[in-house]
Amino acid sequence: MKTLIDLIALFAGVFLAFVVQHALPPMDDLQGARVVLVPLVFCYAAIVLPFPAMLAAAFYTGFFSDLFYLHIVGGAVEIPMGISIIYYVILGCLASRFRSGPETAKMWMFSVLSGAGTCAFLLLQFLMITWHRGGWEWAGAAAWRILAPGLMAALIAPLFHLVVSHIDNLIPDFSRMRRASRR
Amino acid sequence: MNRLNIALVVGLVAVGIYLSTLSSESVGSMKASFMSLLSPFLRTGTAMQQNIGSFGQRLKTLDELDVENTRLKIENRVLRTENSLMRETQAENQRLRLALDFRARSSHKLVAARIISRDSSTWWSTIRINRGFEDGVEADQPVVTDGGLVGKTTTVSKNEAIVVLVTDESCRIGAKIEGTREQGIVTGLRIQENTSEGMLQMNFLSKNAEITSGMDVLTAGVAHGSFPPGILIGKVREFHRRALDGQAFVEPAMDLSIIEDVFVLVGKK
Repeated sequence: MKTLIDLIALFAGVFLAFVVQHALPPMDDLQGARVVLVPLVFCYAAIVLPFPAMLAAAFYTGFFSDLFYLHIVGGAVEIPMGISIIYYVILGCLASRFRSGPETAKMWMFSVLSGAGTCAFLLLQFLMITWHRGGWEWAGAAAWRILAPGLMAALIAPLFHLVVSHIDNLIPDFSRMRRASRR
Repeated sequence: MNRLNIALVVGLVAVGIYLSTLSSESVGSMKASFMSLLSPFLRTGTAMQQNIGSFGQRLKTLDELDVENTRLKIENRVLRTENSLMRETQAENQRLRLALDFRARSSHKLVAARIISRDSSTWWSTIRINRGFEDGVEADQPVVTDGGLVGKTTTVSKNEAIVVLVTDESCRIGAKIEGTREQGIVTGLRIQENTSEGMLQMNFLSKNAEITSGMDVLTAGVAHGSFPPGILIGKVREFHRRALDGQAFVEPAMDLSIIEDVFVLVGKK
């Protein structure tokens, strides 16, 4: 029951993250870098949820991301559907390794994974575009646009972890209560 | 990891690979349905963005009120505000008149549209407009203003469409330089250093072309292309001679970050 509630909360959280990051304007002082919140929300879910639920979350987040960032010009798709699903499955598999660790270690790992996951997602998009359009182009602005959102995600992550884990503790875990009463 | 989990991972990766093989038409229609579903939430987000933008300005006004704090000055400010609002209305009136005039002059059938949000991705330059296939808009139709070319429609849903801007590298336009016989391909830059300004490049020009800064760049209107001839794209800023050809950097005809209303060219009159 608790897992189901967590999963529904993740679905709502990812949706909200998309709406919020769509609403936030690019930061001109950081070379037009944008706030990217979805990998952060997913990383939290991957650290908290059991493995099969994490995979469901990866599918939902990846499918949503693919549709959100789908760019079709002249009948050509720049980043094929399904790439984000595979990306979130890999990220989820990495994150779920830290599920059983102590709470403090989990928080720091969540912070590192959120930052690295955000950067890796943006880098993957950039590489896919480069592969599709051909020719290698690089500029300082591209580095900023990849690294700055990751850094921001890593900074937001501890606060996000504290708030969400506090809310999570308020949700009653019926399965745990049942086990305790049986004993 | 137990066998069931491994099987689930493999299954999910297979689904991902299967989705990547879908045709652009299939994923396009999926995206259109997704846009319709998400539209009310994204519009709320855009309204939120506008509120965030004006927050600082509102705080400044409050601060000024606090400092001045006299009845006469408040009255003065109210009057000034009224005046500026009237000026804004006048400017909007003027803008809409120009737009109407542009529509009357045009030899194409135009559908007026309002920009409802700007792109939210890191790598693409797009806008979202409030016209879709119910209004006769289709994919790959040019989007213009009286100032020049804005871009072309890509994904079209029932009441909305995504427009890829001329400043995006994926928007390729056959173009010519006015006053010369030079033709080339205009595209945006892959990484725009200045996101608000935007810059275009025109490639495949003749190495010996006599091109000077300030020359107008217009759509060439190539056969089977999306764009009719003669629409202003921008002005040449610089021209470089390379080993095999020439390349011009083109400044867009208008600041694409501040436009509010556009027209979609849906056919001939």
